[in-house]
Amino acid sequence: MSNDSFFNDDWLELQRKYWDNWADMSRKAMGLEGETKMTAPWEGALDHWWKAFSPAAPDLSKAFMEKMMDQGKSFFRMAETFANRSDDGSATDGLSYWTKALEDMQKRFSGNLDDGGSAMQRMMSFWEMPLDNWQRMMSSLSPMPGDFLRNMPHEHFKGNLDRALSAPGLGYSREEQSQYQELMRSSMEYQSALQEYTGFYSKLGMKSVERMGSYIQGVIDSGKTIDSARALYDNWVSCCEAVYADQVATPEYAKIHGRLVNAQMALKKRLSVIVDENLGAMNMPTRTEVRTLENRLQETRRENKRMLQSLRALEKQVEALGGKTPAKPATALKSSAPAAKTTTRRKTTAKPAAKPTPSE
Amino acid sequence: MFPIDIRPDKLAQEMFDYNRKLGQGMENLLNADEIDTGVSPKQAVYSEDKLVLYRYDRPEGVETQKIPLLIVYALVNRPYMTDIQENRSTIKGLLATGQDVYLIDWGYPDQADRSLTLDDYINGYIDRCVDHLRETHDVDKINILGICQGGAFSLMYTSMHPDKVQNLVTMVTPVDFKTPDNLLSAWVQNIDVDLAVDTMGNVPGELLNWTFLSLKPFSLTGQKYVNMVDLLDDPDKVKNFLRMEKWIFDSPDQAGETFRQFIKDFYQNNGFIEGGVVLGDQEISLKNVSCPVLNIYALQDHLVPPDASKPLKYLVGSEDYTELAFPGGHIGIYVSGKAQKEVTPAIGKWLNERG
Repeated sequence: MSNDSFFNDDWLELQRKYWDNWADMSRKAMGLEGETKMTAPWEGALDHWWKAFSPAAPDLSKAFMEKMMDQGKSFFRMAETFANRSDDGSATDGLSYWTKALEDMQKRFSGNLDDGGSAMQRMMSFWEMPLDNWQRMMSSLSPMPGDFLRNMPHEHFKGNLDRALSAPGLGYSREEQSQYQELMRSSMEYQSALQEYTGFYSKLGMKSVERMGSYIQGVIDSGKTIDSARALYDNWVSCCEAVYADQVATPEYAKIHGRLVNAQMALKKRLSVIVDENLGAMNMPTRTEVRTLENRLQETRRENKRMLQSLRALEKQVEALGGKTPAKPATALKSSAPAAKTTTRRKTTAKPAAKPTPSE
Repeated sequence: MFPIDIRPDKLAQEMFDYNRKLGQGMENLLNADEIDTGVSPKQAVYSEDKLVLYRYDRPEGVETQKIPLLIVYALVNRPYMTDIQENRSTIKGLLATGQDVYLIDWGYPDQADRSLTLDDYINGYIDRCVDHLRETHDVDKINILGICQGGAFSLMYTSMHPDKVQNLVTMVTPVDFKTPDNLLSAWVQNIDVDLAVDTMGNVPGELLNWTFLSLKPFSLTGQKYVNMVDLLDDPDKVKNFLRMEKWIFDSPDQAGETFRQFIKDFYQNNGFIEGGVVLGDQEISLKNVSCPVLNIYALQDHLVPPDASKPLKYLVGSEDYTELAFPGGHIGIYVSGKAQKEVTPAIGKWLNERG
């Protein structure tokens, strides 16, 4: 792998380019002027390299590598935000810059800052991680994309839609109309629950910024400095995790979380009902019917196992009464229910066919 | 002084180092073969449906105890956590203390297993495994080691079958499900479990993964991958990390009826404390647990906080109750180097002293 020409040449070339770019920035920071505006060349280089290499990676390694790259970007974005201070004309002295940066972070979370995809915006995507996890998980359980309702207009239409959905169905297809009305209601409820969940996370983001501000104040008071991207990132993660831990332990979050899961389940159930209706119409087995069969089968298996146990116990009693040596139970791997045993068994009854000893 | 003083040249160097490690580590990642899990040799000795009971090969030169030890793992995740790698193996540690170790592998339930109940698992599968061991070893009672949810299962089992259990070890086992620091419990209180199970049948492993990762989303889905970059140049460390990663996301679905009952009876109704849990025709009472009990919990456990485990002391009927507090987390208690030195030898010693 390491002998690949791309790895040896292109990748190192890309590394060299962004190194040069940052070196320009360093010179500029030191008053040596380099007028180029930095626009995350490291991120582009990394993406370029990964696109070339990822097809060759095994699935597990690929997913793992992508996570490391994503997180690497996160913590460099954060460092970029703070390291760029000398480029920002709105805050010339260092002390006020981080205050402004924190204010911008808060604005970003409250939706009041449109900075056109800057490092700040990209850095904030860090806080979408828990939401992203939810979307991915739901996508894996649903035939629809996990975010299919996320951007659907909601509030403007809710009133009218509620009224429309409340209208009773009429005529021959009344039941079907009713099913689809229920489906729409469930969709709306899920969307509303998801928005509430998202809103909760936005508030958490703002609280994390406050926590970060307090932490930085502590750094100032102690006379120390944060001098690496990694230290900054680790402290940001600690702040986020601490705020998250506080907030998700509240009854408010439990309610929001429960509502989201319940709304998703209700929607999924509605879909299942409609799928079942259609399967039935095509004279195919429905999930409801299959479950009925599963339940009956399981009950039959329980009874079989109980009867086998009773039968085995009776056999042993008969053998004991006849003075015969009890039949030795099989100890080999069994592919079905094991031979029955009485629960009041004593050592003097069944003996194993192959009795293991400690020295075996 | 400016509190964040990241000089551009230093930042550039940091980025360069990060990307260099990624580039160099790529080769180790690409060379990582299929990840093997469960390292100690073992034999399947009994099976039923998807369950397989394994017996681990005993090491030479170690005198094996007469009473076998049955490990009852949780239905959540896979039991190879107890034997994840050569130098991080609870199983291996137990074998070294002379235990004759058996482990139940529950397999991967599918929709045909949806209607399995707690009674089926405990009075069915576990009881038949226990009987198999009693029979093949010609003993009246065996030792049981229950892990996490498997610990709760073991407590229920022992309370209903005290005549079959010689000694009981519980590890990171929840007993009081409603302690204030139990996030999982707090989150599940408002979940309509009936709706979820009726809708999905079995509960998907992905849903459980999401729940567990949500306990610490930034650390567990973000920061740990940054930390890993520093280890990428070591092929063994890469492989160990990938092995753990595989275990974390190797989540079997949960049989729907069992999940429904477990969540309602324990997480929502706190059944060990409040009572009212009925399996088959028996109500569970931990007062019936009269055998010696060793209860091990982890002090930094975010899934089963120590306070969730410790009330066992006051609930069991046993007069021989021992506690072991391990300074680590829910997973570290099996895989950390410290656990290999402290936890498994302690279990072995405790069991051997009691015969």
